[in-house]
Amino acid sequence: MTLCVHLQQLGSAQRVLLRDLRFDVAPSDTLTLMGASGSGKSSVLAAIAGTLSSVAEGAQALRFDGTITLNGTDLTPLPTARRGIGLLFQDPLLFAHMTVAENLLFAVPPGPRAQRLAQVEQALTDAELTGYGERDPATLSGGQRARVALMRALLARPRALLLDEPFSKLDATLRGQFRAFVFDHIRTQNIPAVLVTHDAADIADATQVLELPPQA
Amino acid sequence: MTRLRRPAAVALLLLVALPLLAVAAQSLRALLDVAAWVSLGNDPQWLPALGLSLWTGLASTALAWWITAWLLAQGFVRQRLGVLLNGLPVMLATPHAAFAIGLVFLISPSGWILRALSPWLTGFDWPPPWPTAQDPWGLGLIAALMLKEIPFLLWTAATQLQRDDMRQRWRAEHTLAQTLGYTPQRAWWRVVWPQLSPRLFWPLLAVLAYGLTVVDMALVIGPASPPTLAVLAWQWLQDADLAVNARGAAAGGVLALAVLGAALGWRALQAVAARRARRASGARGRPVSPVSSGGFSRLPALWLLGGVYTAVLLALAVGSVAGVWRFPALWPEALTVQAWLSVWASLDTVGTTLGLALASGALALVWCVAWLELSPRAWDQALRPLLYLPLVLPAVLWVVGLYSVALQWRLEGQWLGLLLAHTVMVLPYVLLTLSPAYLGFDSRAAQLSDSLGHSRAAFLWWVKWPLLRRSLAASAAVGFAVSVTQYLPTLYVGAGRFATVTTEAVTLAAGAQRSLTSAYAGLQFLLPVLAFGLAAWIGRPRRFRVASA
Repeated sequence: MTLCVHLQQLGSAQRVLLRDLRFDVAPSDTLTLMGASGSGKSSVLAAIAGTLSSVAEGAQALRFDGTITLNGTDLTPLPTARRGIGLLFQDPLLFAHMTVAENLLFAVPPGPRAQRLAQVEQALTDAELTGYGERDPATLSGGQRARVALMRALLARPRALLLDEPFSKLDATLRGQFRAFVFDHIRTQNIPAVLVTHDAADIADATQVLELPPQA
Repeated sequence: MTRLRRPAAVALLLLVALPLLAVAAQSLRALLDVAAWVSLGNDPQWLPALGLSLWTGLASTALAWWITAWLLAQGFVRQRLGVLLNGLPVMLATPHAAFAIGLVFLISPSGWILRALSPWLTGFDWPPPWPTAQDPWGLGLIAALMLKEIPFLLWTAATQLQRDDMRQRWRAEHTLAQTLGYTPQRAWWRVVWPQLSPRLFWPLLAVLAYGLTVVDMALVIGPASPPTLAVLAWQWLQDADLAVNARGAAAGGVLALAVLGAALGWRALQAVAARRARRASGARGRPVSPVSSGGFSRLPALWLLGGVYTAVLLALAVGSVAGVWRFPALWPEALTVQAWLSVWASLDTVGTTLGLALASGALALVWCVAWLELSPRAWDQALRPLLYLPLVLPAVLWVVGLYSVALQWRLEGQWLGLLLAHTVMVLPYVLLTLSPAYLGFDSRAAQLSDSLGHSRAAFLWWVKWPLLRRSLAASAAVGFAVSVTQYLPTLYVGAGRFATVTTEAVTLAAGAQRSLTSAYAGLQFLLPVLAFGLAAWIGRPRRFRVASA
């Protein structure tokens, strides 16, 4: 289950954000993409997840030339929903109209109800949030919300995980804990992951770091 | 400034709450008349009339709601919400009565649709004796109400979707649901719509109450014998016999109960739907076809809606200059400006309309801005039901209260009384349309401005209001349009002494003067459209002289 990203060019009709970006990520590895704001690092994730077109209404639509394959399958013609790529944002983005458990249940694939609920319970236990299922997500602390967001992304059984500065809104102590929590789960799930950050402390594996050049 | 905030809010509240409560109390007092209820119960018409009211009101609201939800889904998923909103102001500005009159000119036996098909397809040389204009099943009324309410619901939904604080978050949640494997459509219905729809409760209630209690539109396109209960009540209210008047008020009371019941029923249904949406099976929706160039396809349903409006307005325009116009002919044999000359001759009608609309719209806007700026959030939340009272109380009942208050305050038959009646009706609409943007304004901007040493007034004048000018202008236009379309309050509180383009158009619609009816209906449409056009011009985004590099 290797993620191979070969982008010849990424940008809008007017300007090129980046050229010739190539990287491969093996299962349970985490590649770190670094770069200044505006270097296009989040857009690389959007290209992989297939969400480039939903960046912002009215804004310049971004496009890319290149191939993105997961385990040999070309992802580029697939819509986001069928790529099997999980995405963790800066904000946990828990759905405000659902309880914590409902947020998690939303991610569990269809199946017998009892089994699905058992998976939700297991996820809550993993996140050290047993008994928090019926809570309103707004009542959780920042760290708790971040853990729920990761569990939700993983419950959908993604074949690769993208992390878009997921640590940047947490304070220093929580940050270290949540970082370890995320990387542990990526290893146990045995899936490739790509992390975008501008903080060198976030780097998962020093041998797998790509620095994007600043904007020309 | 902050010290005076609460007293100012109290003063503002009293200014509006006193007339509102006085009117409501007078309306309800009219319902205490036992003889009136007995007389209503003995009337053979009221039950079938109530049935018709429920049928037309509920069917039109349900249809408008679902079509709106579906259109929003299309617009949101394809990122075409902007397109969805482009044509809305004109549709929104079209008054109900004018729309109904134009629709009748399309679908009646001598209307354009049948003309287009005759005689080559239908073989008709004469208009057939079909009941298509005021059909006894209320289908015409349902269609007219539905077509008229879709733009309103779309627009209120869009103001929520385009709020700065919500837009990005919902867009991000929608994307996130897709990374969990949900199709864009399914993600809308599971994630965005359940969060949006509860916020549309008040607009929906306004639509529901309007549909159940509308008089002017039902007079034009609704069933006649029996009519809807609102029309029946209106006929009773106009009777010379006081006992019959009281029966009319009682019928208004029945309608108020119907609105209440429908609102509760709606809440219950929505709770069930929300629970179902949350406890979803996890099914991801049918796999969609591969992304084709970002899915920039058109929205055909929107074109259909726009087409109906265009046809209606065209029917009014041509109708107003039509001279002799024999049946199967698609175009009048002679064009004449006679109708417009008569309109010109009674220019004071237009003057009354304009004066009332400008004054009541301005008053309502000033009040709403002051209220939203000054009132503590908790008060605002708690008092919304009171402020929205004119939206949900049946107009036939409301005018009874308005009239008694006007009598007590010696304002009946006076311009000032009319202004009061209009402002009270306009205010909730302005509040409804202004508050999402006004309350969604980033509160950090005020703190920032404070920290730069600016006064609150300077902040409002140089930062907040300029940034909100699109919403402010649009709300003022809504207020103007609502005032123009007032029918019952104008006739009842004005004691028949004041004519506006709306009262003229509805009165004429019962007669056979096609061209004069069209001219007044056209004018009724034109005035709000001009207001919306002006609002759009005022609210246009600033063009910076130096574009981005």
